[in-house]
Amino acid sequence: MNDRPARPRVRPSVRLCAPAIVPLWVLLAVACGGGPQPGAVVPAADSAAAAAGRDSVAAAARRDSVAALAQLDSVAAAARADSLARTARETARADSVRAQVQADATAEPTLVLSGLDSASTAELSAVIRFDLDRSDLTDASVAALDRKLRILQANPRLEIQIAGHCDERGSDEYNLALGSRRAAAAKRYLVEHGISEGRIGIVSYGEERPLDPGGTEEAWARNRRDEFAVTARAR
Amino acid sequence: MSAGRGRGRENDALTAGRAALSLAAAACFGCLAVAPARAQDSIPPGGVRVGITYTPGTRPALVVATGTAAGLDSVRAILERDLDHSDQFELITPPGAPGRPGDAPDYRVYRAVGADLLVGLATVEGRSDAVEVQLHDVRRGSLVRRASVADAGGAGGRWAVHRAADEIVRWVTGRPGIAATRLLFVQNGRLWRVDADGAGLAPVPSAGRPTLSPTWSSDGRHIAYMAFVRSGQPIVIQDLQSGEREVVPTTEYGLNITPEFSRDGARLAFAHGTEAGTDIFVYEVARRCCVSRLTVGRFSDNLSPTWGPDGRRIAYISTRAGTPQLYWMDADGSDPEVLARFDFGATGQTNGPSWSPDGQSLAFHRDVGGTPQVFVLDVATRAVRQLTGTGRNEDPTWAPDGRHVCFVSTRSGTRQLWVLDVETGRVRPLTASDGARLPAWSPRLASP
Repeated sequence: MNDRPARPRVRPSVRLCAPAIVPLWVLLAVACGGGPQPGAVVPAADSAAAAAGRDSVAAAARRDSVAALAQLDSVAAAARADSLARTARETARADSVRAQVQADATAEPTLVLSGLDSASTAELSAVIRFDLDRSDLTDASVAALDRKLRILQANPRLEIQIAGHCDERGSDEYNLALGSRRAAAAKRYLVEHGISEGRIGIVSYGEERPLDPGGTEEAWARNRRDEFAVTARAR
Repeated sequence: MSAGRGRGRENDALTAGRAALSLAAAACFGCLAVAPARAQDSIPPGGVRVGITYTPGTRPALVVATGTAAGLDSVRAILERDLDHSDQFELITPPGAPGRPGDAPDYRVYRAVGADLLVGLATVEGRSDAVEVQLHDVRRGSLVRRASVADAGGAGGRWAVHRAADEIVRWVTGRPGIAATRLLFVQNGRLWRVDADGAGLAPVPSAGRPTLSPTWSSDGRHIAYMAFVRSGQPIVIQDLQSGEREVVPTTEYGLNITPEFSRDGARLAFAHGTEAGTDIFVYEVARRCCVSRLTVGRFSDNLSPTWGPDGRRIAYISTRAGTPQLYWMDADGSDPEVLARFDFGATGQTNGPSWSPDGQSLAFHRDVGGTPQVFVLDVATRAVRQLTGTGRNEDPTWAPDGRHVCFVSTRSGTRQLWVLDVETGRVRPLTASDGARLPAWSPRLASP
């Protein structure tokens, strides 16, 4: 969804009528006698038709501003509803975390189909890599994030979760914080380029979910990554 | 170690002289044999040694008598192993000619092998499951302490023997041993526990998988850990007896790691991570409310808090200067400063700090040439000492005696838990299977 409030749009009927209204009351003024001085525009204050014309202009303007206000109201209402919905979702999620703790729930998070075509899905879920012990984005990562950015912009209802991962070297606990930083770095890039914060969740798995359990440099490079998963469909 | 053998030679020389003396004294002392034991029973609060003068730098030589009554062999084996693991004694192989159970020990034989102390076991008349543990001063040739160990053959049997071993250590050194303790650790994403002698390996049910960073409360009745559940990574406090679980408030969202209880059990420190970085928070456990923030990350990470003994200082890891290093601060977050100075170029990341129970040392692991090794820092002098060298060694946790440290090591080729005695340098393996991580040593436990 587009963040910026919509500009009130001028109703087309007023735009079309405006050039017509001016010559109309000029004609009326001439017809009733006492036409305007050449080059001067004088309001025909005593003409009922002119008054009617003016009234219709005013009415149109009033209708316009009412419509504009209604538009603003609905945008504000939508934003409020959005944030209420988000708060409700967060509260529900917190409640479910507490329930899951009691229930020995070890189920995987539910994967959601993106509702996109296969090329976009592949692009969106492509992994980005990191250097050893670093959370800053490489050039390749920035290019990949730009492609994801376009998909996110084109599908305003799409929501994703970024998961940060590390290779097995380094402290187990520190790697959880490093994974969090890696996910946050990717999120920050997307948010800085206009994606609403509420559309992107982050999580860290540290070294707990390696892609490649082999203890080689190649395996470690594959494990230092951010993964992207869809959490709310495009449509 | 050579101390035992040297002592043997020294004792040989003394034995002749002492034999004459003790034979003469035996007549007079015979009637007083019971009295010293009773007098020793009124121990002043600080504990007292059993009246033996030790040469500084050596340890008393101890032998656990064989030839005990049938059925006490397993008790004897457990006891001997516990006393060995305390690293407070030179364990001497018992001489080969055991007397009959119930006989008074022949002190000359034990003196001949260089023992200072003798531990004997006897059944208790009329009670099939109770065992009496006796401590003899070999040089003086007398029984000095005895204690009855109830339920030694029953379900709580191992634990009763562990507690007896800890008592023996207390009689001799003034401070109890650590045989009646357990360790929690993580393997394959699940929580496990093991006794300090390596027995009793059992899973501990937890809220999610993986479960990481277990830690004990100082009453031994609660643990805290971080669990991955479907919708989050909360910190959970779990009652070991009832299994009841409580989610620490504010940990229903975000990354939550490295919990540790304060020594008085009133507070739990942990680290909470968001997009803005990871910071240290404190939860008022006793009051069941009120989470406060101690560090301001500004996009750095602050994690792994460990409490000082009086609850007034917290040491932790911070990346505010780049690589993770060891800092400390007041328990309200004020006055943070670097604690362990590191050698630029020589050592790298520091992680996994653990403050010793007596407050005098901090153990942690630090990268040396790309491989983590266990270090200990002396709080008073800030001197840092490297304790390990072979393989990868990390995540140290202190035993309640403040001289043993359990840590993860790959020195044998698999990733296992090992126990190190900081004073003597002796190392022993604790677990056998591959993949143990993140150990946490319990306080002394009254019951298993």
